[in-house]
Amino acid sequence: MNTLIKTNKLCKTFSSGGNMQHVLKNIDMEIYEGDFTIIMGASGAGKSTLLYALSGMDKPSLGEITFGDKDITKMSTDELAFFRRKNCGFVFQQVYLVDSMSVFDNVMAAGLLTNKNKKEVAEKAKEILKSVDIEESLWDKFPTQISGGEAQRVGIARALINSPGLVFADEPTGALNSKTGKDVLDALTAFNESGQSIVMVTHDITSARRGNRVLYVKDGEIAGECNLGKYVHGDKERHQKLSDFLISMGW
Amino acid sequence: MEKTILLAKSNFRKNKGTSIGLFLLMFMAAMLVGVSLLIFLDAYPTAAKEAKRLDAGDGYLWIGEDLDGIDDEFIEDLLGADTEKYETYRCLGYSNVSLPFGNGNVAPGLIVYDSAAFETKMNRTEIVKEDISITEGYIYLPYQFNTSGGYELGDTYTFELLGKKYSFCVRGFINTTYFGCNNTGNYEFILDDKSYDELFERDGSVAETIIISFKLKEDVNPGSFRIRVGNDVLSQNPGALALAALLPDTISNKTFLSLILAASFLTLTIIIVVVIALMLSNSIANYIRENMKTIGALKAIGYTGRDIIGSLFALFITLSCIGSLIGAGFSYTLMPVMTKIIVGQMGVPYTVSFNPICSIIPVVFVVLFTFFVTLIAAGKIRKIHPIVALREGVENHNFKRNHIRLDKSVFGINISLALKSLFTNMKQNTITFFVTGLLMFVCVVALLMYENFSRNPKLGILTFETCGGVVAFDYETKEDALKYLEARNDVSNIRSMIMLNLNYNNEDRLVTYIFDDVTKMNNKEVCYKGRLPEYDNEIAVSGRFAKQYGYAIGDEVKLDYGSKKHSYLITGLVQTCNNSGKEAVMSEKAAQHLIDFEYSPAYYWFDCDDAKASQKILDEALEKYGNHVVSAMNFFDTLEGNMTTFKDISTLMLVLLCSISAVVIVLILYLLIKAFIYNKRRDYGIYKAIGYTSGSLVLQTALSFMPSIVFAAAVFSVASYYAANPYMSMVMRGFGLMKCNFYIPVPGVIIIAIGMVTVAFIFALIQSGKVRKIESYQMLIGE
Repeated sequence: MNTLIKTNKLCKTFSSGGNMQHVLKNIDMEIYEGDFTIIMGASGAGKSTLLYALSGMDKPSLGEITFGDKDITKMSTDELAFFRRKNCGFVFQQVYLVDSMSVFDNVMAAGLLTNKNKKEVAEKAKEILKSVDIEESLWDKFPTQISGGEAQRVGIARALINSPGLVFADEPTGALNSKTGKDVLDALTAFNESGQSIVMVTHDITSARRGNRVLYVKDGEIAGECNLGKYVHGDKERHQKLSDFLISMGW
Repeated sequence: MEKTILLAKSNFRKNKGTSIGLFLLMFMAAMLVGVSLLIFLDAYPTAAKEAKRLDAGDGYLWIGEDLDGIDDEFIEDLLGADTEKYETYRCLGYSNVSLPFGNGNVAPGLIVYDSAAFETKMNRTEIVKEDISITEGYIYLPYQFNTSGGYELGDTYTFELLGKKYSFCVRGFINTTYFGCNNTGNYEFILDDKSYDELFERDGSVAETIIISFKLKEDVNPGSFRIRVGNDVLSQNPGALALAALLPDTISNKTFLSLILAASFLTLTIIIVVVIALMLSNSIANYIRENMKTIGALKAIGYTGRDIIGSLFALFITLSCIGSLIGAGFSYTLMPVMTKIIVGQMGVPYTVSFNPICSIIPVVFVVLFTFFVTLIAAGKIRKIHPIVALREGVENHNFKRNHIRLDKSVFGINISLALKSLFTNMKQNTITFFVTGLLMFVCVVALLMYENFSRNPKLGILTFETCGGVVAFDYETKEDALKYLEARNDVSNIRSMIMLNLNYNNEDRLVTYIFDDVTKMNNKEVCYKGRLPEYDNEIAVSGRFAKQYGYAIGDEVKLDYGSKKHSYLITGLVQTCNNSGKEAVMSEKAAQHLIDFEYSPAYYWFDCDDAKASQKILDEALEKYGNHVVSAMNFFDTLEGNMTTFKDISTLMLVLLCSISAVVIVLILYLLIKAFIYNKRRDYGIYKAIGYTSGSLVLQTALSFMPSIVFAAAVFSVASYYAANPYMSMVMRGFGLMKCNFYIPVPGVIIIAIGMVTVAFIFALIQSGKVRKIESYQMLIGE
């Protein structure tokens, strides 16, 4: 398997009023191409901090993050922006669509960053929106006029419009009910099955089951790793393996 | 109370930038209102106040040229019945003397006194400043020579009287009501007694003059009195020159330039203050919106709406009180710059002193305005539920249309997104549009004033007729002199023109310009309606006169001069700023119904290349005709002298108003963009997360404000081009200009528009740079 991301002694420290808080401690890890990697851990363990550091959204305090053959910790803010638009897609818990833009334009706004050909981008946007089950009648609506589940699937479409090397998802089902949450996970799973690499932070065991590899973060370190293999719906043995792993981690 | 102050302090700390921006707007509004009020209520009335203090009475009578039969007994008969008191003094008087002033010359009437001038009981002359170490060969000049003419104590002042040059050392500057300002047409010089005696010895026979200051009885009509005394003097001695001037006309003439500028400044200030007020209300509303979350939190922990509103009032009223107090105070520091030119131009000493009304009104205005705006904007806080406030109010978006669909847009992504922002922030952009537009209008009017009063003076407004020079010959040589002038190659368009005061209905007078051939006039534009008179029964009167007495084109007006009366058909309306707008023009043939010109001197107005050519023509005429030359005026030099003060004022106005406009635009953009970025900080986080660079977001933000500014600059530059003259007509109607057609240089308007857009764009880029500080990660995780 090809390595997409590799970290070397990754640290993140916050200081507040003279107090130093070490959120990530010397993390060495790898993310592989084609994987649906899950990052789990208790609240405050540092999973979101790790996700945003890996994606170049936040700068680590120390250490290296190599994405392909490039150390993104040495990149400037603008270089990181170019890096993200080409290599990363993001799905957030709070969706974060631009409210003043239509659903379609939210996807287009991301797509036009890497491709100046509006026609091509529009065609791709339509294709992806259809693939996440967003009906055409919703395309001209604004984010506040659609449901949370629909908005999150638009978020996924936006994340995928540039065919990124890796999609980062931060608790994508955290703000959704179980039905709409399942729809979102189904969409992500389907994309992963078609070869899309995904890193997802979650504290929800149902969501975590979708991944083939689970990393457990505890006190700023990778405390353990569990390889689940390819997701198969209703595979009880797989579910049990994950449960056992989480229990062993003190979940 | 304590908790209100606590909250107010916290609001200030959290919103320092906005608070300081609002403070500056309040400061500027108070300062501009303060300056305008000080100009109008304190500086402008100075001329009238000084006249009263110097006991100037109701006017003066100038009798000169031939004083046969004008003795004390005649004067008593002339004035005794109608006046409460009068005072007579004899001096030397000259018409149209060319006097160095500023960068050129002026050509007023001149009276010359000795030190007795300081001992008059009525219409006193006072020394403003002097150097008593200068003891001989000295002169006291009117104060205007110091304030506008550029002379200082100890300078040598050289001028020419009846062909002889004199030089005196300037010992002092004087304050005199009727003879201290070029716009009143007359100056007064005071010489040391010895020099005066020598001058009297030389010129007394031709220049001895009687000046009578008078105070009328209450029941005497000043207009009728003026006409009667003029006629009575002419009846006594037809060779005498009798000019009566009334105090209100003198004050009006002294102050009209200042008033034009003060009125223009005030109206433009009102526009700027409206802009500031608009911004103030918008900014306070924005301020409250930005703090909605805090309001929700405070309500959630038990603060009442009243507590929160109280804290907002405490903050804004404190800001407005401090801002307006400093602004009103600062207006006094700006006044010396304004009054040095505006009041100095009147030739009246003026010192800025504390004026309670001018200080209280700006403060009350700004504080009350802030109070009401806060009251209206903060009213919503009372009704809003804590949970709604915590969610930062109900998001309002315009869902009517998805403006600029990205797949259909012909623009690049940055411009397309900027245009989207433009449409979703229509309110802010509408404000920017009108603010920029109004400021554009202010600048175009300032440009108009600069162009027409300073760079290329619009002579037709300031003087009835333009020429290269004027030379007057006595009746003995006038025909020969005309042939001499006509034979010269460097002289063209010679026309005879003389001014005469014709009386109307025993109550008013019309300063009438009498041309041998009206078609030769350079300034035909003076007639703004109808046509100039051609035949011997025709006249064109000023629009102001026609309006006051209900005349229209086609009506007949009866005028008289001495004992003769004649009716004339009004063929057109003319306009000027001189003589309180009471002027007329007719042909010599028409004037002959009232006066015989056979023994009158002839004033030949001619055109020539430049000041040098004019001076050569005048010098050679003087050389050839000697004492037969009654008067000579180099028009180029005179104009330069007259324009000195006007140039300073209009240049100052252009610089001041353009600077104020730039500052206002910058402040407004500061507040709007700050609020915009704050309100859109979440969207910026999203954009950054998905890969937009800070640079492109900064550009998008700055660009989103530009269409309204560019559009306003374009629309209002055209609108201002067409509206500036009607606006000036409205402002200057009171001075006699009924229909202004000032030249507005199109390149100047374009430069202003481009300048405004450039300043706005540069500042918008700088201010939008704050987008760089937004960290997508921190924003997205809610920090």
